[in-house]
Amino acid sequence: MAVITISRQFGSGGEFIAQETARKLGYLLVNKATISERLQEFGVTEPELTIFDEKKIGYLEEAAANDEQEKQRHHSYLENLQNFFYDLAIRENLVILGRGGQVIFKDFPPAVHVIVIAPLKNRIERVCQQYNLDEAAAARLIAEQDEDRREYLRFFFGQDWLDFDLYHLSINTGLLELEEGVSLVMKAAQYKESLVITDRPDKEVLTNEQGPTEPLQDATGLEPTFAHPSEEEFARMLDFYRIEWLYEPKTFPLEWDSEGNISEAFSPDFYLPEQDMYVELTTQKQKLVWKKNKKMRRLKELYPHVNIKIIYGRDYRGLLDKYGIDE
Amino acid sequence: MAYPQDHSLEILLSEEEIIDQVCRLGEEISRDYASVDDLVLVAVLRGSVYFAVDLSRFLTVPFTLDFIGINKYGNTKESMGIVRITKDLDVNISGKNVLLLEDIVDTGLTLNYLLKNLRTRNPLSMRVCIFLDMPGRRIVDVPVDYRGVEMQDVFVVGYGLDYQERYRNLKYIAALKKD
Repeated sequence: MAVITISRQFGSGGEFIAQETARKLGYLLVNKATISERLQEFGVTEPELTIFDEKKIGYLEEAAANDEQEKQRHHSYLENLQNFFYDLAIRENLVILGRGGQVIFKDFPPAVHVIVIAPLKNRIERVCQQYNLDEAAAARLIAEQDEDRREYLRFFFGQDWLDFDLYHLSINTGLLELEEGVSLVMKAAQYKESLVITDRPDKEVLTNEQGPTEPLQDATGLEPTFAHPSEEEFARMLDFYRIEWLYEPKTFPLEWDSEGNISEAFSPDFYLPEQDMYVELTTQKQKLVWKKNKKMRRLKELYPHVNIKIIYGRDYRGLLDKYGIDE
Repeated sequence: MAYPQDHSLEILLSEEEIIDQVCRLGEEISRDYASVDDLVLVAVLRGSVYFAVDLSRFLTVPFTLDFIGINKYGNTKESMGIVRITKDLDVNISGKNVLLLEDIVDTGLTLNYLLKNLRTRNPLSMRVCIFLDMPGRRIVDVPVDYRGVEMQDVFVVGYGLDYQERYRNLKYIAALKKD
């Protein structure tokens, strides 16, 4: 589905642009309210739900982040946030406000990444009006909020918030009306969407001797919906080498509560019938995959006969590099 | 795929080390096929040519040398779709003893396809000899009967392995590194 991410300097009007774009396009706006309401289902609860959300991690907390437990807490938050976003993006068209959306969906081809900026004097003016503050207080609030966002992105995603390489579109609301900003974002999203459709090979191309390139069908002829573009790419590669696959055909229960209900389970991405092997892909950074590794260990404990292979982000990129540059 | 233009090479296997390994493989294969007179060496184009030629010079048993080529998976339209033979064998391998030669095996996808394809031609036996093995990258398991050197997951060039058609002719094997 379509994804628009909007990053914004405080007081630039980015929230308004996100809201209006979502309303006019009929997309789901993912902001603080959506996140508070739905992220809990993905295992992020208080206090993390509030204290990590677009907040600067203080120096003391950052120092404590070397502690293994703290590290896991941060990794867990980030992994759950990513899962939450991916899960939403499968089902709905999204406008994501902040929260590292531009990084999480960096390699997602249909995504449009927008940053809304404005000169400080325009932002002070807007904040003064909006919050009924004097200029000094507005300037202070802007500095604090911008620092929170900058540090949030640096700490959790290792990215410079104002690195313009991250964005397709930058909107300066010092020079444009907010409504004009909305129109530009909508135009960019519609243009991107049209590209995605025309990028697909048409019927004529599909009937050439190399065979169809899509839609992808598993070994039983079903056309699965992939949770992540990297999975689709992997399936395409398997198809190319004529290796049969099934997408997420089985879920392995891993933990049960005291009443015998399944409390944790794991569904490997692929099953290769000829190899009798499950494959789990992860495109997350190595340091973020600890939770998945834990699940894999548990799976091997409970189901020792199951042959499963995990392909890490590094390896997967390595594979694509290889195929991109091979003869 | 973007790959750094500015890169340097770190030698991982010298010319002498390569030749030592190829010699060892040649001796093992000659011993194992000592009583066979219909050995067919099938080298996979294009990277394996260097290895195949060197290896053949250490063989003391009679053999026929042939080549097979397939297209590889990639991001360009031309190579999307499905794997196919771009250069087929000239020799009929039915009832013969086949030894498939690969310069490198990492994911196992290419080798898996080739083995399946060649097996349909009913060879009497089929074995695999590879020079470089990168088991850390394996997606599908493939049988390897003769193995030169096992290596970690790095991008390597030289001794038949190229980067954008460069470095194939290096006499050593090197890791390609960003500067």
